[in-house]
Amino acid sequence: MRKADIICALILLGIGILIMADSIRLGCGWAMNGPRPGFHPFIMSLIVIIGCLIVIAQAIARKGVAGSKKLFIPKGAIKPVLRVVIPAIGMVILTEYIGLYVAAMIYIGVYMKWIGRYRWRLVILLSLIVPLSTYILFDKLFLVPMPRGILGTMVGF
Amino acid sequence: MDIINNLLMGFHVALLPYNLLIAMVGLVLGIIIGVLPGLGGANGCAILIPFTFVMPPNAAIILLACVYWGALYGGAITSILFNIPGEPWAVAVTFDGYPMAKNGMPGKALTASFLAHFIGAVFGTILLTFFAPILAEFALKFGPPETFSVMVLTFSAFVGLGGKSPIKTLIATAFGFIMAAVGIDIVSGQLRLTFGTVPLMGGFNFIVAVIGLFGLGEIFLTVEEGLRMDGFAAKLRWKDIKEVLQAMRKYTKTLVMGSIIGVWMGFKPGGATPASFMAYGFEKASSKEKEEFGKGHIAGIFAPEAAAHGAGTSAMIPMITLGIPGSPTAAVILGGLMIWGLTPGPMLFKEKPDFVWGLIASTWVGNFAGVLIILAFAPFFAAVLRAPFAILMPIIVFVCAIGAYAVNNRMIDIWYMILFGIVGYAFKKLDYTMAPMLLALVLGDMAETAMRQSLIMSQGSPLIFFRPPIALALMIVALIIFFWPAISWVKGKLSAKKKT
Repeated sequence: MRKADIICALILLGIGILIMADSIRLGCGWAMNGPRPGFHPFIMSLIVIIGCLIVIAQAIARKGVAGSKKLFIPKGAIKPVLRVVIPAIGMVILTEYIGLYVAAMIYIGVYMKWIGRYRWRLVILLSLIVPLSTYILFDKLFLVPMPRGILGTMVGF
Repeated sequence: MDIINNLLMGFHVALLPYNLLIAMVGLVLGIIIGVLPGLGGANGCAILIPFTFVMPPNAAIILLACVYWGALYGGAITSILFNIPGEPWAVAVTFDGYPMAKNGMPGKALTASFLAHFIGAVFGTILLTFFAPILAEFALKFGPPETFSVMVLTFSAFVGLGGKSPIKTLIATAFGFIMAAVGIDIVSGQLRLTFGTVPLMGGFNFIVAVIGLFGLGEIFLTVEEGLRMDGFAAKLRWKDIKEVLQAMRKYTKTLVMGSIIGVWMGFKPGGATPASFMAYGFEKASSKEKEEFGKGHIAGIFAPEAAAHGAGTSAMIPMITLGIPGSPTAAVILGGLMIWGLTPGPMLFKEKPDFVWGLIASTWVGNFAGVLIILAFAPFFAAVLRAPFAILMPIIVFVCAIGAYAVNNRMIDIWYMILFGIVGYAFKKLDYTMAPMLLALVLGDMAETAMRQSLIMSQGSPLIFFRPPIALALMIVALIIFFWPAISWVKGKLSAKKKT
């Protein structure tokens, strides 16, 4: 947990420095007609940078204290978490190419079969019904189009 | 008598058959959302925002508000039956609610919780009805310095009152403001913090952030903890209701105290969670049966639940009067207001009285109907939790993706959603509080404009925030709350020294 704390604070510190650099580029002082655009982000990035330094210092000082060795992700939990994260990312990648509805069909089907180990009949039924009903609801009734991907625009459905 | 007339007009809106139907749908959805792991009021409302595009604003706000009330009621079911708090403010009820269910009285525990919720709701709604119009009238006189001091007060409340680490809360808040600043600067029209990339030009949408931080992040956490859904069966009998009603007469003081703590704390942002703990602690400290607490004492259910719902309801007051939401869910509803083309703030009472009073009246209707629905159908809602996770999870992720995309019709938002999900997971584990970050993202533009306008008015002197009497008072309170963790730390050191 201590290590993760330090790493996270370092990442945030990096972003904070980046923001500060850009706000200095924009100008963070006083112009003719009020504060320059970089004024507000500059102060915020200052808070982030100082805050992160304190967090890092606190974490380093915590060395050896009970509980500091606790893992960020408990042993054995990393697998189920990845099993949720990776398919979700996969669905988004697929959406870029074949559109949200087809991607969701594959995603729901694969997840139910792979993790849930349901029977094919139920898997196919649900992975068809859920995207289809949302398609009718959003694209047809509400007229809110969902992403179609490259394939979808080519076929023109 | 103005208020009574307005309220009657509000009921006229809220009781239209269409709006009433919407309210019922919202309540049922809200209870289900409250029960399901990985879904709560905030992201439940966020996902439903695309559905409100086709509704008139009056119906849209009724839907979202009723989802909120439903989620408040429903959150208690998981805490009591499964010992899994669905929302942070449902943690306190697990102390006595779960033991009581374990003692073979799950029905009684649930009934006690629902009825306590209802009492809290009544207190919160009374305050909403009678105090909100006065506050709005008062807020009409606010200029940029006053608006900015209200914001400062809002965020210092988060730093001073909530979260385990005030510094991390501060970092998270600053990040929220930074994200809000990405894109086109509203004052000068310059592009800011885009680093020359096109996707960043559109900025970050906070509804996408809600869905990611509170939706996906929560799902990842649920998976990590491993789902052990072995709870108690919920059966509500007449006997339970009768017993609880008797207990309510005995513990009237507890309920009133809890509700008052709730509405008072909920009025300030981020107050619901501390309110429920405070009410529990207060009740335990003042009770004659201290050793009974933690073993399933009914007062240990009454106090935090009344406080939680009271806080949830009164969180709507600053949202509707000042445009500053008191809870993440209220923030999402505020975002909805902006999407429907309404400007939140005190002018809303003047410009859209049917909207405001429709919301207030539907708060009465929704909370009243909510308690009846959940008492009648609690076993059915509890059964939702038994739905297999391998089916629910991909469907929830899919619906989240629809919600994230529909806000702006941008593919990049689905990617942001995933990114926010991972950030939310890490932040939650490392104790960075997300509610203030979200609020900063919503209010960022407003706060920055108020600050810059004030500084233009004063030609650069920050003293303008301390000169108008209202701003001065707000700023003093804000500073005290902000430095409260430091003050109490010093006080603790001093008293420790005295002892040695």
